[in-house]
Amino acid sequence: MDSSDSTTKRFRIPLLNDSVSAGFPSPADDYTEENIDLNEHLISNPFSTFFLRVKGESMINAGIKDKDLIIVDKSLIAKPGDIVIAMIDGEFTIKRLSIKNDELYLKAENHNYPDFSFKNHIDVQIWGVVIYSIHSYS
Amino acid sequence: MRISSNDAIALIDANNFYASCEQNINPNLRNKPVVILSNNDGCIIARSPEARALKIKMGTPYFKIKEKLNKLDIAVLSSNYSLYGDMSRRLMNLLKNYCEEIEIYSIDEAFVSISRPNDKNLYPWARNIRSLIYQNLGITITVGIGENKVRAKIANKLAKNIDYSAGIFDLARTKNENNYLKRISVDKIWGVGKQTSNWLQSKGIKNAKELRDMEENEITKKLGIVGKRLQLELKGYKCLPIEKKNNSKKEIQVSRSFGTPVTRLEDLTQALATHAIKASEKMRSLNLQSSDIRVFARTSKYSSQNYQRSVHRKLTNATDDTNSILKIVVELSKEIYNPEYKFSKAGVLMQDLTNSEYLQQSVINYKSQKDLKKSSNLMRTIDLLNKRFNNNAITWAITKKPQSWTMNKNFLSRSSTTDIEQIPTIVK
Repeated sequence: MDSSDSTTKRFRIPLLNDSVSAGFPSPADDYTEENIDLNEHLISNPFSTFFLRVKGESMINAGIKDKDLIIVDKSLIAKPGDIVIAMIDGEFTIKRLSIKNDELYLKAENHNYPDFSFKNHIDVQIWGVVIYSIHSYS
Repeated sequence: MRISSNDAIALIDANNFYASCEQNINPNLRNKPVVILSNNDGCIIARSPEARALKIKMGTPYFKIKEKLNKLDIAVLSSNYSLYGDMSRRLMNLLKNYCEEIEIYSIDEAFVSISRPNDKNLYPWARNIRSLIYQNLGITITVGIGENKVRAKIANKLAKNIDYSAGIFDLARTKNENNYLKRISVDKIWGVGKQTSNWLQSKGIKNAKELRDMEENEITKKLGIVGKRLQLELKGYKCLPIEKKNNSKKEIQVSRSFGTPVTRLEDLTQALATHAIKASEKMRSLNLQSSDIRVFARTSKYSSQNYQRSVHRKLTNATDDTNSILKIVVELSKEIYNPEYKFSKAGVLMQDLTNSEYLQQSVINYKSQKDLKKSSNLMRTIDLLNKRFNNNAITWAITKKPQSWTMNKNFLSRSSTTDIEQIPTIVK
């Protein structure tokens, strides 16, 4: 309680509360810090970061599995080698942006899935760069 | 005093904001005609460029144009304010990094101040911010630059209307300003309302140039200081400063239109109670308490009844406690209810807000302080649980009966950017 509040012209007598406990104080008290906040560590551009959910196994060789949570940073410029989210034919697609014979294409990280060449499609947009995938083991 | 030419004000707004938000997060809508409906799926309030090209008009009631939309294969969506609000927050925060001051003017527009570089040319800055916002959010913005707010607004209009402008126009750096000002009719000038516009036209003043050059005394005599200020801004003087965000909210309002008109007291009370719970929650999240609680209800603006009523209750002690507020709101709802009228909208207003941090000490006797503490702990626990689990994991029984009055949102898209259960799926 605040006993220095001069405007009330009253003395306040502090009540004992939980924080004044008998026994030994915890030796860790002086070392209490904030929790680890994953947002803070995984996301550097919060205003351009979006979350998506993977369905299917097309990126299994890159370690991205069905149901994984994908963190996408749209502010990053995609470079060859990046895993990217693209909008193709009305759907979100996840692929690795790759280069072969001086030509960019989208590579599926699973032999059972086709790669994607930009040549055959007019309406493709690289939507964002994948910065993390989060897999649940339970 | 004419301001130094080093300071500029820009009005930045998002093009087709609601439709762009939807198109950015749903690949299925990309490059397709999309329209957004107002609350209650009433009429068209936003169109994608593709829908504009098909000559779909703003404000058209949905029921009138339903078949046409269907035939043209135009996507129809209810307004999704959790999505637009989130994208707006992202947009404004990104803009902050590229200007000196920012005044958020509406969900999709902001006035910003920026100093001119040595060569006075702000086009590179505008181009940079424009491509950056598109890259980060998939949203196209228009940048209108001028010496002050009125001229920045005009520049923004010109940027939209001139084909070769590429979404950027600097009114302070143009050689034939008169020609451009002539293109802006008086009713399109920021701050000119319907009445003023009629008066000006009756005086033969049709566009921004003519208003700028109008006899000063005549304007001041009719419109007072407001008119004088407007003319000065048109001339390039700065009268209206950038208003930085005021954190102390004056009131908190929660109101909704009804899906179908409400005639029963029970429904009105339930709706108001639902809004009161939301408003109390909002107050607690902002550490605010209210000592003046108002409820209001009205019939449709389009109905012949045209009835509206609002009543309020002043409290001796400010509160943020849902139980106390609910009790008052339920009582007040009986006062505004009138069986003769079909209500189309109702809401609650928390007024006379004070910061609850300063209030803790002012409680009069020990017993009520103990009760207060108990109830505030309960409220805090409920807020925490609702935050952790989904919204309304815990709520009050009054809201749990069937709600026949809720708003029509038959075509609502998902909360793709704010709710982990609703994020988009990558299918391939």
